[in-house]
Amino acid sequence: MADANIEFKGSSFTLSVLHLKTSILADIHADLAKKVAQAPDFFYLVPVVVNIEKITCSIDYQEVKALIEAFKFTFVGFTGAVTKEQRSLIRELGFSFVNTTKITTSAKAVVAEPSTVEKIAEAAATPAPDLYTDKVHRGQIRSGQQIYAKSQNLVIIGSVSAGAEVIADGNIHVYGSLRGRAIAGAKGHHKAQIYCQNLEAELVSINGNYWLSESMEQHWGAPAFIHLIDSELMSSKLI
Amino acid sequence: MARIIVVTSGKGGVGKTTSSAAVGLGLALKGHKVVLIDFDIGLRNLDLIMGCERRVVYDFVNVINGEATLNQALIKDKRVSSLSILPASQTRDKDALNKENVGKVLEELGESYDFIVCDSPAGIEAGAMMALYYADEAIVTTNPEVSSVRDSDRILGMLASRSRRAELGLEPIKEHLLLTRYSPKRVEEGEMLSVEDVEDILSIPLLGVIPESQAVLKASNAGEPVILDTESDAGKAYQDVVDRLLGETVEFRFLVAEKKGIFSRMFGG
Repeated sequence: MADANIEFKGSSFTLSVLHLKTSILADIHADLAKKVAQAPDFFYLVPVVVNIEKITCSIDYQEVKALIEAFKFTFVGFTGAVTKEQRSLIRELGFSFVNTTKITTSAKAVVAEPSTVEKIAEAAATPAPDLYTDKVHRGQIRSGQQIYAKSQNLVIIGSVSAGAEVIADGNIHVYGSLRGRAIAGAKGHHKAQIYCQNLEAELVSINGNYWLSESMEQHWGAPAFIHLIDSELMSSKLI
Repeated sequence: MARIIVVTSGKGGVGKTTSSAAVGLGLALKGHKVVLIDFDIGLRNLDLIMGCERRVVYDFVNVINGEATLNQALIKDKRVSSLSILPASQTRDKDALNKENVGKVLEELGESYDFIVCDSPAGIEAGAMMALYYADEAIVTTNPEVSSVRDSDRILGMLASRSRRAELGLEPIKEHLLLTRYSPKRVEEGEMLSVEDVEDILSIPLLGVIPESQAVLKASNAGEPVILDTESDAGKAYQDVVDRLLGETVEFRFLVAEKKGIFSRMFGG
């Protein structure tokens, strides 16, 4: 129980990254001054990682750090796709080199190197994808018929007639004309979408937000998909 | 094995009985043994269109109830000997039929006939379901207007889910689209759905297009199925339908409005 008082654990944080596009310190200073003047409180003691990927010639790393700290940022380290030599120079000077999980080809050589701050497991930061399986129906859904894909996406290879109803807890795809009613995200799923090759629906609904046909004028009779943005239905051209 | 063909539509007044009579007689004229069954119990019409209303003694319901034999109830057509008609009862209602007994009658008829043409009542209730239950093929009669197309779509759904073939998981009923009362002129003027529109909505193979014609009403009142009027457009179109049912490839006619010549324009023809 030697280290019961402390524990090392990997976590991911959102860090501001300052991308340098020039090695001329005076220019960087001028732009930073402008930026900070816009919102001094916002930038106060904000941890910053400096990306030097776009700097082609050499730059004084210590000067950069001093400049950053002069504006009351908390300097964390450098990052970017750089050569091995550059990286070891940075470390010799006593600065951290921060690896991002987003790797460009030139940076592949430095991937394996551990670093003080790491964006661990990007998957944990972004929400898990919705692992719905598909219920596939071949053939037309006729007037008066109803299909419900419980905890599934619904794929219809055929048209949905006027007076028919297709419902899914996930997305709805209609490879044909959608003339009936389509209700996606039926159990509350705001990311559900409705796709069809010909939009002539009586009603479309996602997560309880619905449109009647009069609201679909923009893409009426065209291939379109319907999605939800902040409780507002949107239609977009499919092809 | 007899081919059991139901003539159905969902909506009333679109030409089911007219089409049943024309198709049944047309098939018989080609030398096939045909029986026409009127499933519209309580609204007996087929015998009128066929011109045999005075010869009805026993009917379908009598046969179902065991009050008469099939041979007693069947009426032989006077024009074509290979055609028989099984009339509906005028005094009973649709509940008089049940699946089991209808099945027995159809089975018995199937032994001696090539085609059994079932004239379905309108609607989607028991009577219509009974007419389509045993069908091998369906002629979906549709007028080129939205409500008729919608009802046909509903019936197509029923054919795919409520028939014997659907219940037993057999090969589905073969669907045919029969467009009746078609007026190319009104289509051109944008007042009527076109053949393409209806095909697009229903997406089943087209069996025939019967043009709107004065000959149909005249034929109905005379009790002479319109297919016998070989001079009329409707009669010719029904003839094409029969040929297509028998597997022939026949080009579609009467799809475009006739251009009036100068003489007919001058003399109001």
